[in-house]
Parts: sequence; C-alpha cells; structure tokens
Amino acid sequence: MSDPAAHTQLVPPSSVVLVSGGSRGLGLAIVTDLLESGVKVAAFARTVTPELAKLADAHPDRSHVGSVDVTDLAAAQAFVRAAEERLGPIDGVVNNAAVGQDSLHVHTATADIARIIETNLTAPLQLTRLTVRRMLAQGLRGRIVNITSICAQRGFPGLVAYSATKGGMDAATRSLARELGGRVLVNAVAPGFFASEMSAVLGQTQLDQIVRRTPTGHLTEPEEVVPVVRMLLREQTNINGQVIVVDGAASI
Amino acid sequence: MKELSRAQIRDLMGEVLKNQGKVLPDDDAADLREVGFRSLDFSELALRVEDETGEELNFDAPGLRRIATVGDVLDFLVELQRQ
Repeated sequence: MSDPAAHTQLVPPSSVVLVSGGSRGLGLAIVTDLLESGVKVAAFARTVTPELAKLADAHPDRSHVGSVDVTDLAAAQAFVRAAEERLGPIDGVVNNAAVGQDSLHVHTATADIARIIETNLTAPLQLTRLTVRRMLAQGLRGRIVNITSICAQRGFPGLVAYSATKGGMDAATRSLARELGGRVLVNAVAPGFFASEMSAVLGQTQLDQIVRRTPTGHLTEPEEVVPVVRMLLREQTNINGQVIVVDGAASI
Repeated sequence: MKELSRAQIRDLMGEVLKNQGKVLPDDDAADLREVGFRSLDFSELALRVEDETGEELNFDAPGLRRIATVGDVLDFLVELQRQ
C-alpha cells in the first residue's frame, strides 16, 4: 500500500528527543548539545550520573532523566510514557546505549557475548519499535539516529561480538529507512575510536601509530560527532538510511 | 577443579612452540617477541590448559597486553586458574 503524501511531506526537525545511554561520554555530550540547542530531551542510562542530573536541573522544563537499563523493556516503556507526559510526544530517538568489549572471541564468556548482543542490538531494536509505534499511532513524523561504530565496517581484534552488533544496527538502519517510507528518517553515525577509549587499552606507541595513519592527525572526540547527530535530528537534508563515518578518514 | 602446575603449563607451552618448529627457552625472563610466541599462540595454550582442566578460562585483552616474557605467560595462566 503506497502513500503518495509520504513523498511530498517533509519530516520536521525533532523537538522531543529520547537519548539512551545519556549519562556519560558521547551520550552526555549529545544530551548537552540538544538541550543547548533548545530541544526537549528525555535521557536515560543505567545510572544517572551527577553530570546528567546537573544538566536536568539546569533545564527543568525541557528535560526528563531517569535510571533505566536499556535491556529492561518494561522500564524503558514506562520511561517513555512518563517522558511524553512531561515533555510531549517523542519525535526523535538517539540509540546510543551500548556496552563495549575488549577480549578475543575465543576467550569471551558465552554470557558476555549474550549480554553484548542483548544490550547493543536487541535493546535498541526494541526501543526503536516502541518509539516508532508511538510516533505512527500519534500521526507523527520523526527521526532516528543510531550510534554505531567504525567496527561495523572494519575488522578489529578483541571486538568480534561488539562489531557484529554494530553491523547489525547499520543494516537495521537501512531496512528501517526503507520500511518507514520517509515518514521517519533513520540514519546511523559511526564514530572512529575515541581518544579516551583508545588510551585506556593501548600504549603510547600504538596510539601514536594510529594518529599517524589518520589524515586529520587526531583521534575522534565526542564533540566532533555531536554536530552530525544534531544535523540528522534537526536539519532538512534528505539524508536517509545512511551510515555517516566520523573518523578523520582513518578507515579509508 | 583440576589445576595445572606452572611446570605443566610450561610443558604445554613448549609443545605449542615445538609444533611451529620453535624452542621454548629455559629462562623465564625470555622475551616473547624473541621466542616468537604470539597472541594466538597464547590463545592456543590457554585452550590446551582448558582441555586439561575442563574449565573455561575467559579473560579480557588488557591483561594479555601486559604479558611480555615466558614467565608472564606462566604466571598469568596459573593465576587465571585460581579465579
């Protein structure tokens, strides 16, 4: 069943955005940026950090934060309902919550593989389903940004399960964009490794080597990813079903 | 749980290297790069220890990156069995 009107109406900028994993790192930077841009933000994470609580205090009328484990669908559902009661209908989603990995596949516990897949793939698919159902039921148009990773496109040892989940989200991004027929724009942003992540696991020699191989001469910082996320949520671009890599061309 | 001694793990390490035509030096301070013992060889050794003990030995990569000598390998696997 085709809907000719879907092709003529533009998707407006998101005005109420749900951010998962918004308590630190890139998630916190996204929440900060959106609030500073005047957007209403509902953010959850397993733990509400003092930084996120402070942000919420600074923007009491435009924010709603809570402690929710993204794998707890009932809790996520309750959070979404509470956020919508307070801020209005959600018309933007940033699937950012994820757990990392730093272990060779053969030495990763089976329970850890299951946890990585549940958190990084199953949970964002469920959250997307939940929020898109609400958007459609309320006659809204919306935008979804999935935070994936360069690991989805390039191989890295120690990140097998993690890479699989991020590749899964890249694939879901494309299919969702098709499935939602332009009524909801769905894109992914794939950052390269952040300096903070890399320095935690690599020595200075290895870090220097990676930087030398990066044409822009530095590793990605969360502040460099945030404007891309904001653009996908707020600007009129006709970008849909894409994965935008932000890594200084380290991977090309 | 069955636990392999440091000497038994050393014997298994010697077998891993022997299969590649390499020799495990007697000196525990020997550098793994000079011995030619790479990260996948460490995986093979850990899996051989698992076979002997019947228990999975799972660990994160950062622990592996600190290993530089033959003695480090043996200490790591002895300790891992106790966790």
